[in-house]
Amino acid sequence: MDRWMLIAATLLASIGAVWGIISVHRGTRSPWTVVWMVATFFCQLGFLSIRGDHRGACPLTDPGEIRAFLAWSLTLFYLLTGPAYRISLLGVFTAPLVVLFQTLALLPGALTANPARVAATNAWGETHSATSVLAYGALALAAVAGVMFLVLDRQLKEHHLKSGLFRNLPPVRELLTSLERLLWIGTLLLTIGTVAGFMMPRAGFSSHLIAALVVWIAYLVLIGIKRIRGMTGRRFALSAVALFILSLMVFAFV
Amino acid sequence: MELLCLGLNHRTAPVEVRERFAVGTAKLGEAASGLTALADVSEAVVVSTCNRTEFYLAAPNAREALERLEIRLAERENLDSSVHDHFYRLEKNEAARHLCQVVSGLDSMVLGETEIFGQVKQSYKAAHAEGATGGILNRLFQKAFSVGKKVRTETSIQEGSTSIGNVAVDLAEKIFGHLKDSEVMILGAGEMSRITAQSLVSRGARSIFVTNRSYDRAVELANDMGGSAVKFDEWQSVLERVDVVISSTGAPHSIIHRSDVEKVRRARKFRPLFFIDIAVPRDIDPAVGEIEEVYLYDIDTLEQLAEEARTRRQRQIEDCERIIDSELLKLNLPGTR
Repeated sequence: MDRWMLIAATLLASIGAVWGIISVHRGTRSPWTVVWMVATFFCQLGFLSIRGDHRGACPLTDPGEIRAFLAWSLTLFYLLTGPAYRISLLGVFTAPLVVLFQTLALLPGALTANPARVAATNAWGETHSATSVLAYGALALAAVAGVMFLVLDRQLKEHHLKSGLFRNLPPVRELLTSLERLLWIGTLLLTIGTVAGFMMPRAGFSSHLIAALVVWIAYLVLIGIKRIRGMTGRRFALSAVALFILSLMVFAFV
Repeated sequence: MELLCLGLNHRTAPVEVRERFAVGTAKLGEAASGLTALADVSEAVVVSTCNRTEFYLAAPNAREALERLEIRLAERENLDSSVHDHFYRLEKNEAARHLCQVVSGLDSMVLGETEIFGQVKQSYKAAHAEGATGGILNRLFQKAFSVGKKVRTETSIQEGSTSIGNVAVDLAEKIFGHLKDSEVMILGAGEMSRITAQSLVSRGARSIFVTNRSYDRAVELANDMGGSAVKFDEWQSVLERVDVVISSTGAPHSIIHRSDVEKVRRARKFRPLFFIDIAVPRDIDPAVGEIEEVYLYDIDTLEQLAEEARTRRQRQIEDCERIIDSELLKLNLPGTR
């Protein structure tokens, strides 16, 4: 049942992505993207609650659960912040990423077929996992806003202003503001997650915690530089996208 | 009962003729009511804008009503017969079709402009309030408004900006969103700068700085626009705070160089900066556009964008006409057959 819920969520997000891309190609906005994403969100919730029930804990035990949780977190932040920044277009950019994460979660071997109950739960450990994945949702959405900025910036620089995408993209300043806000939210959540990670019972420094610390510091440096010294929009957006991809890769291998 | 329209517009009459027939907004209802006093005219609406004056009438005999109306206008204005050549006379379905074209912006000087919709609505309301409209014109004008809306939603007739000033303002909004937090600097107090800056102010730009080689001229323009004048050798200090720079000086060489912008980047915290260069020869060195946070548009690029929008609108005319014809067919209004 849980797997079917995740498949349904993936299909709904795929429909939202395709629908949105077609609309953008035609130069119109797609008010339905948000509807598909809301439906996706509820299917994700269904999946996570079933898995959580089986686990008796936050469902962040196997790689599939982590990826699905990340997709849920990304959808959640999109639904929370989207209305302020032309919801349909942010959805068009977000939906493919949700599909990607959920497809990775559905890959053979990613999701444990019969999830076992977690033997001993620890509040710090749960907090670490949950807030870290939530943080990644916000940081993923920041990366999405970064990509949107890079597309718009290129079009404005090269005077290519005829596409439907250009007409529908939000203004440069709004994109940069939303990007910065999402990075602040993500970094704040990551701070809680990292502190909780250091508080949970462990035997010495794990490479996972060191990687988390490095990622946290990198994001802190990025928003610090932006706030204190300033940074061009292009570098800021590129850094947000690159940092997100790098941090995902780090966690995939560490 | 037959429908008819007598009118003149920017294509058929020069301004010195048009102004003689112009009717003030406050007098539109009264003028329409006056027309219904003519023998055999049952209903009337007078549409009058800076580019046109049109009389829409419903009368049992269109030809006779037209003649009487023309005689009355000539008598009132004390005009010779040559003025008749400036008028167009449309009857029945052609008159209905023309009204739909006017409301849709197809007959406007700027193709697809939207202001005319409100102006015709105002004219109709004034006539309606004076009791000058009845079954035919009420149905016709209501239909024309719905056709106008349909044309605008189902085609791209109003998309894109068709003037350099509006293209520049649209781009500024694409970069900064609401302009209420944006500051503008004008280099050179020429007419184009003034028009573009006024468009920015009308869309909410927070403040304007004007600089010119002649400081008095800068003060004059700044006062006109509610902005502040800046001495020409001090414009670089203002560059630190503004978001949009409009340059239109008569200088024979570049005024703004890459090094000028590089100097203020740190102080600006690398915020986006939009340069509009409408001078010929250009005031802004093209190398300025290579700076990451700078968006530079010269007059050729702006004109090209405006021209593209005009061409796009032209291509829409056929679709608009098709909508009008199909909607009028559905209306099946007495007086148009």
